Amino acid sequence: MIDDRWSRENDVTDALRAHYAPPSDERYWDALEARILAHVARGGTGSEGWWSALAEMARPALAAAAILVLVAGAAVVHTRQLEARNAYASVISAAVPPSVESSARLSSTPDGDATVNYILSH
Amino acid sequence: MLAPVDGDGAATERAIVVAAQRGSDDAFAALVRLHQRRAYSVVRAIVLSHEDAEDAVQEGFLHAHRALDRFRPDQPFGAWLYRIMANAALDLVRRRKVRDADELPENVAIPFRDPAESGELRERLQEALTHLTDRQRAVIVLHDVEGFTHGEIGRTLGIPEGTARSDLHHARATLRRLLQNIRSNS
Repeated sequence: MIDDRWSRENDVTDALRAHYAPPSDERYWDALEARILAHVARGGTGSEGWWSALAEMARPALAAAAILVLVAGAAVVHTRQLEARNAYASVISAAVPPSVESSARLSSTPDGDATVNYILSH
Repeated sequence: MLAPVDGDGAATERAIVVAAQRGSDDAFAALVRLHQRRAYSVVRAIVLSHEDAEDAVQEGFLHAHRALDRFRPDQPFGAWLYRIMANAALDLVRRRKVRDADELPENVAIPFRDPAESGELRERLQEALTHLTDRQRAVIVLHDVEGFTHGEIGRTLGIPEGTARSDLHHARATLRRLLQNIRSNS
């Protein structure tokens, strides 16, 4: 359907055509064809903008992050094991209790009292 | 007007499409050579710049290559391809809008400025085109510049034919109103 009034307004249509005219140089189209085929061959990476570059990096970045989390987790576990081991060692070395026999022997109280005292004192 | 090949050319094109579907890179290159100008025109009607049109054409052919095995050779290849091109262009426009909204909103109002172009009508036309919706602009360019029919525009943009007709009417009315002064002075 042709709008008669519009069809008389050739200057606007001409300006539209001039504005949207495709490049006329054959070399441009040869170059564009090469770019299209290269784009298809590499699966689209490279000209989609920074978001596609980020998307490309996302997978290795996630893998690296997972490895970092595992390493950090292992380090935390190892540190806690060391701290616990050191804590036990410090407690054991700081307060080694005398045996019941030696406590009884050192005491002047009878054997039964010495045993009770030992138990109460620990 | 939509397909760049007719008659015997269509049969040849069908053979090229089948070869491309079987994995021939040369056949796909032939399809690119055959359709890239028309594909450029379709996406140029939708995006705001020549550079965006180039990006959209590349993306469109990439999508077409990936979807080639789903194309039925008894269908018109051009219509199928240009629909993919239009979708690639519309997707690019959406991404640009999101990006521009995040960056400098004031730049959105002057997307058509090209210092190399001269002439008051052309400058006013560029400004007036920004007053159209994306779809109205695409419809008027596809119809008045590329010669698409309303039905072809509807199939390419994925809208009813009546909507394409209505968009064309409103786009012309808007341009006529905005360019009235300069046209009456010229």
